[in-house]
Amino acid sequence: MKRFVFGAVSAVIVSASCAMAQDYPTKEIQGIIQWGASGSTDTVMRSVTPHAEEALGGTIVMQNMTGGVGAIALNHVAGQKADGYTLLMGAENPLLYKVMGLGDKDYTDFIPVNILARGTPILVANPEAPFDDYAGMMEYIDANPGELRLGATGPGGLPSVVTGMIGSVEGEMDVISVPYDGDGPALTALQGGAIDVMPAVLGAAIEGIRAGKMKPLAIFDVEANPKLPDVPPVTDFNEGYNTYLPWGPFFGVFVAKGTPDDVVAKLSAAYAEGAKNPDFVELMDNRGFSMMGISGAEAEDFLAKWQQGTTWLLQDAGLTKASPEEFGIARPDAD
Amino acid sequence: MDTLLAFLTIFTHPQLLMLVGLGTFAGVYVGAIPGLSVTMAVSILISFTFSWDVYPAISLMIGIYMGGVYGGSRTAILLNIPGAPSAIATAMDGYPLAKRGEAGTAIGVTTVMSFLGGFVGIGILALAAPMVADFALRFQPRDYMLLAILGILLVGSLSQGSLVKGIFAGALGLAVGAVGRDPLTFTERFTFDLSIMEGGISFIAVMIGMFGISEALMQLHHVDKAAVRQKISRIVPSLSTVRKHLPLSLQTSTIGVIIGALPGTGGDIAALMAYDHAKRVTKNPERPFGEGAMEGLVAPETANNAAVGGAFIPMMTLGIPGDAVTAIMIGALFIHGLNPGPMLMIDQPDMFWFIVGALVCANVFMLIFGLTGIRLFSKIVEMPRAVLIPLIMLLSIVGAYAVNNSINDVYWMLGFGFFGYFMRHYGYPLGPVILGVILSRLLDDNWRRAIISEREDLGRFFMGIFTSPLSLVLFCAVILIFVSQTPIWTRAKRRLLGRSGKEVEQ
Repeated sequence: MKRFVFGAVSAVIVSASCAMAQDYPTKEIQGIIQWGASGSTDTVMRSVTPHAEEALGGTIVMQNMTGGVGAIALNHVAGQKADGYTLLMGAENPLLYKVMGLGDKDYTDFIPVNILARGTPILVANPEAPFDDYAGMMEYIDANPGELRLGATGPGGLPSVVTGMIGSVEGEMDVISVPYDGDGPALTALQGGAIDVMPAVLGAAIEGIRAGKMKPLAIFDVEANPKLPDVPPVTDFNEGYNTYLPWGPFFGVFVAKGTPDDVVAKLSAAYAEGAKNPDFVELMDNRGFSMMGISGAEAEDFLAKWQQGTTWLLQDAGLTKASPEEFGIARPDAD
Repeated sequence: MDTLLAFLTIFTHPQLLMLVGLGTFAGVYVGAIPGLSVTMAVSILISFTFSWDVYPAISLMIGIYMGGVYGGSRTAILLNIPGAPSAIATAMDGYPLAKRGEAGTAIGVTTVMSFLGGFVGIGILALAAPMVADFALRFQPRDYMLLAILGILLVGSLSQGSLVKGIFAGALGLAVGAVGRDPLTFTERFTFDLSIMEGGISFIAVMIGMFGISEALMQLHHVDKAAVRQKISRIVPSLSTVRKHLPLSLQTSTIGVIIGALPGTGGDIAALMAYDHAKRVTKNPERPFGEGAMEGLVAPETANNAAVGGAFIPMMTLGIPGDAVTAIMIGALFIHGLNPGPMLMIDQPDMFWFIVGALVCANVFMLIFGLTGIRLFSKIVEMPRAVLIPLIMLLSIVGAYAVNNSINDVYWMLGFGFFGYFMRHYGYPLGPVILGVILSRLLDDNWRRAIISEREDLGRFFMGIFTSPLSLVLFCAVILIFVSQTPIWTRAKRRLLGRSGKEVEQ
């Protein structure tokens, strides 16, 4: 009798879990957005998800969960059941949590459903700055040590990575790094002349460049960007950047590790389909993001490489709290 | 002609008109309930209106914004609980009026003055937006720092009674504001390694606790006393009242527009500065400030509604948000396929004039809804306290939770509520605490930015102040206001002015 009950129960469990994967989704899916309403991550996720819902044939209810540079949302999703009913919609920051002392979890505790798109960094200057391109800026820094004011957004932010890159390619720069709350306030300060140069993401600066309120110095990529074809890539000035580029912040959808493979596959397919929607493509293009749409092993590979490159860059720039080595993040091979 | 058409879009589409009306109506009530903030309402609307067209979505948001800024004054006057941070100053003279049974008059004046301030803000947005935006851009970190110091000097006018207690309260607020991860370096400050402190203390939670819970606890002392009957015969203020306060309201509206247009400062600081300004320039109020002076209502209410128009100035001309709500609206424009930035006015001038039209419309709706619902609203204060007090507590808890969906915020709110109760009991003013929390970040971040920009050299820092006209004016204002609060000032004035001193003293 006991054995029969045990057998029956386990049969029910097995069939239930099979049914769950086949019929997925049978209920509403929660989408936890790491950042606040109307931020870049929020905009990207809210515009792609309705199209993904269509492909999936289910409902995804999105909710913003902010705080702790996104760590609160990440920990929340990691703590839920790994059944594909809670998605994490995030950006690149979690890959830096460990070395920044912001938490002990990152995307290695997750499976990437889809890495949607990547942003391109660009170096912009106040229109009255006494130089017009990247080379001019470097000359100016050499001639006037400690005079150039460079915007920053705190350790781990895009400007800190770009500044770290410049430092490791060109050698230490003698500049004043002025910290702001985010690239929005810093670009405002740039237009008001409080800072001279700011590394920003292309999408945030593009309207200001179009209006002549700021001037582009170089795109931080290996090739020119179709949005700003006249702006030279930084590799034109110094080949050394090829080691680190292309690099950029990215957006992706994740589920906790342990989620059944077929559920992940269904979600990946849905998001891949959703990301092809012309409205979404246009929105991403307007904001200067490059579409990626990768998943599976390719995405995991991308994340690992991104983490290696960036954490070690920050480590070498002396911006980390703990060495990447402590977390088993290997130094990238110089290629 | 195109401009006019774009401006009139809202008035010719009944559907859009209705959405603005609906938004304004909802805004008044969202604003009135402590804890439900306009920022929150607008961010919920972002997802709600995602699939809509851009005009209806923006119409609804503008309605909520305008109505919400005004709505905060309702509960400030009736219950001494500001519904929003920008209504803190309103409570100081509004509640004493309600206690005398003149809540109707107070709400009437507030409504008309909010309407007036709203129009000044919209007018400046429509006519001088690029100029104001250029001016706002000129503010350097050191100027923001000086502005924050100016704000801190308001402690004097916010503390009724002992100045020392006021300074203590202000300093406490500054310290509370500094808790959490430092936004510039992510270093933990004053967190004592507790996870509850790591994210910082939500300013809204402090405000709801200090004003909501502590007021409810205070009222428990008189739970048996009958409520004050409210006279609501004369709601619409007479023309002569409006005319009398017109000069002051124009001055405070200007303060509102400029503070609103500065990225990083909003209606809350504007209202407090306006209140302080009113206290300075009003020589003979009919009633002393803090006991129901009309000027004490006029100033903050004109300023915070004028700040709405002000906040749109950098948003429309530069794509830079003037405050938290316009930051979300910029996101909404992005989502709807527009590219907010300096080119928006050139690429899509229609959008600008549509927004101006929607603001005008929302302002008119605000006047209508503001003046009609008073009778019902005043009944709230006449409710038995045994019903009212639990209701306030419940709303406070819901409100504190809703800001970030965080239970920690509820704990902070309750903690500050009890603390605030004892502060009131021992005669410590609560206004300066909130002032301190608001200004803490502004002062701290900008002081550091300013000094870092000058290579941590005080000499260069002061050189910067003395060579920039804007900084110099702000610096002189700080010195002047500081000195005017010390005994040296009165003594110096007496000696310098001699006989004419008497007139000045008046």
